[in-house]
Amino acid sequence: MSQPKIAVDLILQKLAESTEKAKSRAQKASEVLLSPLETDMATTPYEIVYEEDRVKLKYYKPAEVKQKYPLLVVYALINRETMLDLQPGRSVVQTFLDNGIEVYMVDWGYPTRKDQYVTIDDHVNGYMDSIVDLIRNRHDLPKINLMGICMGGAFCVMYSALHSEKIKNLVTTVTPTNFDTDKGLLHIWMKQTDAYLMGKSYGNMPGDMMNLGFLLLNPARLILDKYVGFFENMDNKAFVENFIRMEKWIFDSPDVPAATFRQFITDCYKKNLLIQSKMELDGKRVDLKNITMPLLNFYGLYDHLVPPEACELLTREVGSTDTEDICMKTGHIGIYVSSKCQKEFAPKIVQWLKEREGDGESAAAEKPASPESASKSREAGKPASDENKKDAKESKPASSGKQDAKESKPASVGKKDVKESKPASSK
Amino acid sequence: MASLFSAWTKSSMDFWGNIAKMQPDTSGTSEKARKNPAYKAQKTWESGNKILMSLLSTLSEPKNMNTVLKGMDSLPEFMMQMAQQSWDGYLEMQKRWADQATKMGRHTEAYNFEGIDQNVFKTWNEIYEKEFQKFLNVPQLGLNRFHQERITQFTDKFNLFQAALSEFLYMFYIPVEKSSAVMQEKVEELIEKGDIHDNFKDYYNMWIKILEGHYMTLLKSPEYTQVMNKTVEALVQYRKAKDEVMYDVLEKLPIPTNKDMDELYKDFYLLKKKVRELSKKLEERI
Repeated sequence: MSQPKIAVDLILQKLAESTEKAKSRAQKASEVLLSPLETDMATTPYEIVYEEDRVKLKYYKPAEVKQKYPLLVVYALINRETMLDLQPGRSVVQTFLDNGIEVYMVDWGYPTRKDQYVTIDDHVNGYMDSIVDLIRNRHDLPKINLMGICMGGAFCVMYSALHSEKIKNLVTTVTPTNFDTDKGLLHIWMKQTDAYLMGKSYGNMPGDMMNLGFLLLNPARLILDKYVGFFENMDNKAFVENFIRMEKWIFDSPDVPAATFRQFITDCYKKNLLIQSKMELDGKRVDLKNITMPLLNFYGLYDHLVPPEACELLTREVGSTDTEDICMKTGHIGIYVSSKCQKEFAPKIVQWLKEREGDGESAAAEKPASPESASKSREAGKPASDENKKDAKESKPASSGKQDAKESKPASVGKKDVKESKPASSK
Repeated sequence: MASLFSAWTKSSMDFWGNIAKMQPDTSGTSEKARKNPAYKAQKTWESGNKILMSLLSTLSEPKNMNTVLKGMDSLPEFMMQMAQQSWDGYLEMQKRWADQATKMGRHTEAYNFEGIDQNVFKTWNEIYEKEFQKFLNVPQLGLNRFHQERITQFTDKFNLFQAALSEFLYMFYIPVEKSSAVMQEKVEELIEKGDIHDNFKDYYNMWIKILEGHYMTLLKSPEYTQVMNKTVEALVQYRKAKDEVMYDVLEKLPIPTNKDMDELYKDFYLLKKKVRELSKKLEERI
């Protein structure tokens, strides 16, 4: 048997080169890490216009209002809404403002033990309804536009079904509504384990515990390879800044109120009540047929948390005749932060809303940028006191980051279905 | 044993009898002296001594002595039995662990998690439940029984949680072990072909891909979901038992416990909800 030849000299030479490179990288990395880094998030200026308990409403004012109907953005209770305004040049909020849309965004805050009894009904029919009424009053409009993200999207679906008279257009993004799928580990685990018990045990479901669960979805990449990648690039300042910014966002995880967590797991993941129009909030049935306003539904083809199967049934179950599914070739987060999606995702929403403005354009032209209309709004929710008004810091110049967030993949509009035509990947 | 006990009762009787004789005679003491506290103390001592002497003389009767001695014998017997059971459990555990340890990982195949040898954890749980847990479930008695019960429950739940966590961590480690084995085979194949990569990153990429594949297979397996659920349940039980002990301790201090605050928060939540509901109704009327 012949002995295979191993080029030991080549291997040793390569090893020596690698060691030299690592040494040089470590030197540069220390310079980068010790220098001031630009890792701020959510730098677009805003004003707090509503506060109730832990919940705040951010108002982003465009330089010039071009659309009549303001847009209310409802983020999930998991992680923070800062994702939509990650950094200049990579901000969904900024794109909306540049196109003249007034943006309101819910900041759910950080629930404490005091919030453990707060249910989905309290979020949807309590906080959200007060906020929608406040915005309607501020703008003197019967309806507003509503956009939801992930779990926040599910809340928006519930809200639109229960208060359809207050919503002009509905945009759902990576929103799970059909939980009867085994695509995606999250669905399997939530259905087959009693994870919801942890909420009661800890008072609320701890954000850190949820983050651990998300890391366990792909430990090889998220716990190990991601940081190997960081060490390989830590001499690249732009890479480091983007990486740190994403780390800050990922691990900024508020707890989820125990009652809400429990209800979401049992009614949605375990019983799949929402898509069947069987879910009830405070005794009121959430009938998806009541969603008669135009609906735009985005989801990610490579989303491992909310797979397409969990999103795409919605447009077929609602009562609206004006619906559109858009499946982007990206993941759960990439849809908001990848460079390519920045060019397609938010501009598509702007255009779609514009097409459904009705008589909005002339009205918008006459409207002042900041709604001064005194309102019942102040009664509906607590007015923002001067000391609570928070003018965000001045926008900082965009860092020349080339690197996209790890989760994001190049985005493209992969599928566009109008109600009548079935999505390509549907069952 | 009986003669020793008999001798001890006799010497006790003699000793206390002599002490009693040394006391001053009080039979003819005047009325005034009887009111003296020292007189009262002496009388109390005399009465106590009489009770002791009658008890010792009763004990020294052969029939009674046997009964007492039997009772005394049963105590070490009880202790010995308890110790014997613990020791047997420990030996059994050691034996079965040794058996299982040699089998661990013997039958596992790459990308296959159906045949994972979890017997070592099953064995531990069986032994724990059969041999040790029962000691923690011995009924507690007396004034402190509830407090003691909470502490034993806490100990029990802590042990169960540790066992569940160990099983979970073991399972989580298996892909690393399997990936190393697969990687070794791949490298051997490459060497056979003479296709040696001089870039170490290539090997790392190869390994991380194999590892990811193993994890994906593991995480989707029902075995993993089952073990994860067991760990979650054990954690919840352990936290509950720990909280109960904490409430017991904190209850004595002038600070509110989570239990107190949770009750208050609930009242507060319900009140707030009611106020919001009434405000809305009022607004609608206006």
